[in-house]
Parts: sequence; structure tokens; C-alpha cells
Amino acid sequence: MIKTAKRNCFAAGAAVVSALAFVTPGHAADPIKLGAPVALTGSLADEGGKLLHGYEMCVDAVNAKGGVKVGGEMRKIDLVKYDYQSDTNKASQMIQRMATVDKVDFVMAPYNSGATKVTAVTAERYDLPMMSTAAATPSVFDQHFKNLYGILFPNEAISDAEAAYYKKAVPGLKTVAIIAMNSLFPKAIGAQLKKSAEKEGLQTVYDGLYSPDTLDFSNVLTEIKAKNPDWIYATGFIQELVLMRKQMASLGLNPKIVTMNAAAAYREYQRNLGPLADHVTSSAWWHGSVNYQDEYIFGDTKKYDEVFQAKYKQEPSYLEAAATAGCEVLAESVEEAKTTEHAAVRKVLSSKTFNTFYGPVKFGPDGQNKVASPVILQIQNGNFTVLAPDSVKTGNVETPLQK
Amino acid sequence: MLAQYIINGLLIGSLYACLAVGFSLVWGVLNIINMLHGAFVVLGAYIVIFGVQSFGGSPILWTGAACVVLFAIGYVIQLGLINKVVAAPIFITFTLTFGMDLLAQNLMINVFTATPRSLTIGYGSLQIAGLSLSVARLIAMGFALLLTGLLYWLLKHSSIGRAIVAVRMDRHAATLLGLDVPRIYAVTFGIGALMAAAGGGAMAMAFPITPVLDGTFLGKAFVICVLGGLGSVPGALIGGLVLGLLESFGAVTLGSQWSATVGFVIMLAILVFRPAGIAGRSGFE
Repeated sequence: MIKTAKRNCFAAGAAVVSALAFVTPGHAADPIKLGAPVALTGSLADEGGKLLHGYEMCVDAVNAKGGVKVGGEMRKIDLVKYDYQSDTNKASQMIQRMATVDKVDFVMAPYNSGATKVTAVTAERYDLPMMSTAAATPSVFDQHFKNLYGILFPNEAISDAEAAYYKKAVPGLKTVAIIAMNSLFPKAIGAQLKKSAEKEGLQTVYDGLYSPDTLDFSNVLTEIKAKNPDWIYATGFIQELVLMRKQMASLGLNPKIVTMNAAAAYREYQRNLGPLADHVTSSAWWHGSVNYQDEYIFGDTKKYDEVFQAKYKQEPSYLEAAATAGCEVLAESVEEAKTTEHAAVRKVLSSKTFNTFYGPVKFGPDGQNKVASPVILQIQNGNFTVLAPDSVKTGNVETPLQK
Repeated sequence: MLAQYIINGLLIGSLYACLAVGFSLVWGVLNIINMLHGAFVVLGAYIVIFGVQSFGGSPILWTGAACVVLFAIGYVIQLGLINKVVAAPIFITFTLTFGMDLLAQNLMINVFTATPRSLTIGYGSLQIAGLSLSVARLIAMGFALLLTGLLYWLLKHSSIGRAIVAVRMDRHAATLLGLDVPRIYAVTFGIGALMAAAGGGAMAMAFPITPVLDGTFLGKAFVICVLGGLGSVPGALIGGLVLGLLESFGAVTLGSQWSATVGFVIMLAILVFRPAGIAGRSGFE
């Protein structure tokens, strides 16, 4: 008798609680889960940290305006992140976990072209739309996966713009020496630059590769110095390119132009080199001085730049900006599709042109952004001067490398 | 140009020697493959970089401070931790130091971040008979030669040095003669860490440093020890210079992407044909 009364009492209580849950005005809709394998430790921790800052900028901005409007309800974004320790295989395992255990709705790709190409296979297997924000090599997208989208436009747009600009802006530019790290992106952009330079009538006098973690460039640079090129084009990551610039100075190399792609676009490059960074050029997929309108979050590029600097006390590079834009494009697609259902979101992603603070984004049939707006930068007196395009130009190129 | 290639090889080779001396000593005397050695080099380099950037002063002065700190860290680690398992098979100490290396690397990423850091002091270069010599690397080279010389003298002529050599020759006989073997072990490991800090100081003058460089430094130390011979101070110096020259000519003849591979191929050849190394004594291979 007492037991039955207790049971009835519990049942009534449960009914009241359930009823309250429906009528309480503050009932929050389920969040949209955005998976992100991030390199927070290991050799890519620096770049991984930049991507994380970019994602946080987007998630915080979207959530601050109430979330993503999906049908009749506002759904916040929940960033589900794991440290993949700069190990691509671990990143693949984490995407598998995100798909099966965390049940994320979408996933961001890890850092760089090689890791994106590998992990895209896992995302495709689980039919999980994946947004890449740090892979520019077209071969990453040649698998024609329906779930892979990439914010960075292809390498050749960068190398074509660079070769054309320097040929026009630097009198007497005739020869180029190319040295690239033996890794997917630097190798691809180095090879592409050779083609772009030849299109402009420049002669390649040196074309070599170096391995990651190289501790000495003195002999390679001695060889390059003997060929006396007008332009040295080096690609790779910040660690090796800082060392290369230091050794150029000690060996007395002084060509008209030195490009260090894309390390010289980061503030850390200047901090490591001080005055030696002056006159080094780079290109970038984006720079804070460009100006694009964005109706979804931030309003425009200037505002994004301001919010970022207030939050992280440093300037955003193209890497953080692309990460924010990738997340924004996903959120906007869900809003337009009115659902998180993958097929519907993919349809919007494949057809819409997104006007973001980062610039217009329009994915091609292979999933890579086809709107190219390369920016060419030179470090002048410790600051970035935008050399091209003309619409955002802040100064002219200064030569040679050292006065 | 050939002279420039040789100079380049010798300059980087002397830095390599500086990296490897401590590693060789610990391996030769303690029979410990110290996987933590690369992390010690990186920590030494960071002490120098942060010291110079935060408080000013000469990098050489700060290298002295880094040596003191690392000696203390090495001494405590050996006495408190590795001595507990030092009699176990080499695999145990190998795994222990490997685990500590992972821990140290990620702690340093948390503290120093993974962003490369370097000293922006411009030492410039000297031009002698058409050859360019980086002053920073010349200083590092002088430093490396001085330190290996000091260590050589210490082992030959000081009482602690002779005790270290005695323990290396026969641990049991040394115990019977009244030597405090655990303390000698701790001092030796401390000296290994001190030499790593000195190598780190020399590296900081020439290279941008990140916490993840520990594996690269350790790889070089391995090759040099095999080339030069274990436990031999002149062996580490010879091994370092040989590796520098090999990589230098490897880069010119085969391309820069193969330069590190040349060192490892030669290491394999030495292991097969002369396991004691160029200057090592047999029995320590």
C-alpha cells in the first residue's frame, strides 16, 4: 500500500517536471556539435593554436548573437575539440571518434595539406562534412569527396600573382632560385612558382628541396650565391625559414627580392629575426588590411581584426581568419538549409557564394574555394606593407634585400 | 667554393660535437641511453634566450647559468629516479628517459609555447680570403672546443674525473675500492646535462629554438656517438666534425633533402664494420 503510494508520488513528480520542461521559456535547443581535431602539442602546436583561435572567434560570435537559426529555434555551436598531438594518424582516429561517439554534426580539418588529404578519407567514410581551412594544394581535393570543402584558394593563384607582380615591379628581374621543403604544400607551391616564373620569362637557376628539421643551409646557400639569382623564393615552415634568413645574412647573400612563403606573413617570423626580417616578402591568402563586408558575423574585415586583437592581443594571420571563415560558412549553410541534415547542408555549400569578412567564398566542383584574392606583402621597417592587389595596396616594393 | 663547403661543415660539426659529448659520456659510463638529452639541450637554449631577452647580458654568461641549472636537474633526476633502476636492463632506463622526454617536451610547449624563439643579436660575419664565416657560429665553435677540452681535462686529471673513469671501467671494483657509485652516477648524469645545456647555449646563438627540436638534437647525438665511439670525449668531437662534413658534402652532391640521410647511412656502415666507432675503445660498443 505504502509502496504504491510512493510510486504514484514519484510518477506525479516526474510528470510535473516533464511538463515544466516544456513550458519553461529558457529551454535551450540542442547545440550544433562542431568537431575539431587540433594540434595543441607536438611540432604543429603553433599552427594548431592559431586554428583554435580562429574557431573560437567564430563560435563565440555566433553564440553571442544567440546561435544558429535552424528552423524555428536558435541552436548554439558546441566546439568538440581534441589534441591530435601533431600526429596525422591520431587526427584520423579522433574524427572517427567524433563521428561515432560524440556524434558531431560537422568537422574541421587538421592543419596542412598532407593531414587534410589523409583525414578527409575518414570524414568521407562517415559521411561527415569536413571544412578545411589550412590546405591550399589542389591535389588534396582531387579525390572528389563530396564532404570535403576548403577555404584557401589553390596555390597557383598565389604563385602566378607573385611572378607577375615582381616581374613588373622590380626592374631587371631575370633569374630565380627556388628552395622548398620536402612536404606536400611547400613542394607543390615551389613547383608551381617555377611554372609561373617561366610564364613571365624568368629563368630558374636553382631548384632544390630540403628536409624538415634541417639545421644547416650554408652549403645550399653557398651554391645559390654562386648563381647570383635576382630573386630567391623559399617555401616551408617558420623554423627553417628563420634559420635560412640568418644564414643568408652570414653568407652575405643580397638578391633583389627574397620571398619566404608563407612564414614571413606571420609576426613570429619578425620577432625571431628583428631587423633581418626587413624587405623579406611573402604572399598570403588574406590580410587584415583588406576590406570585405560580412552580414553574418562581425560586419566587416576591420571589425574582425579589432575583435581578434582585443581578444588575443595580436594580429590575426590568414590562418586564423580562414579558420573563422570556415566555421562561419558552415553555420551560414545550416541556417539557409534550415537543418543540420548533411545532404541539405552540402547542397547549400556547393551552390551559394558566401560573402564573409575573409572575402567571397565559392566552392568549386572539387570542394576548393575558387575565388582567388592573393595578397602580396613585404616587411618594411617592422611593419607589413601590402604590395598587391592595387585595391588594398599600401606601398611599393623596396629592393634589394639589404641596403 | 670547396674551402667554403669545408668551413661550413666544420662550423656545424663543432656544434654537433657540443651536443653529443654529454650524451656519449652518459651512455659510455652509465650504460644509459639518455632519451632526455635532446630536451636538456632545448631547456638550456631556452634559459639562454629568456635570460638574454628578459634580463640582458651576454648569451655566454647565460649559458653558464643554464649549465648550473641543468647540472642540478640532472643530478637530482639520476639520484632520485634513474639510480633506482640503473641496474635493470638497458631497456628499462631507455623507456624511463623516453617517458620523461615526452613529459619534458609537452611541459616546455606549455611553458614556452611551440612558437620558435631566437636571439636577434646580429654578430655579423667575417670575410677571410673570400670565405664567409658566421661570427655566431665561430663563437659556438670556440665554445664547443673549449668545453670538450675542459671535460677531457676533468676526466684525466681531477679526482672526480678519475672516479668516473674507474666506474666506467669496472663498477664492482670501484665499489670495492670505496667509491660512492650512486653519487658518481649522479655527478656523471649531471655533467651530461651540463654539457647539453652548453650545447643548447651554443645552439641558441645560431638557431631558432622550439620545444620539439629535442628529437632532432637527439638523433644527431646518436649518430655522432656511433661515429666517434662511446664514452670518448675526443671521439664525440671527431664524430661531430665528421658528421658536419658528411652532411655538408651530402647536401652539395645529393641535394639538401638527403643530407641527414647520409649521416644515418654512414652510422649503419660503422655499426656493421667498426662497432667501437672511430675513436672508441672496444668493449664500449
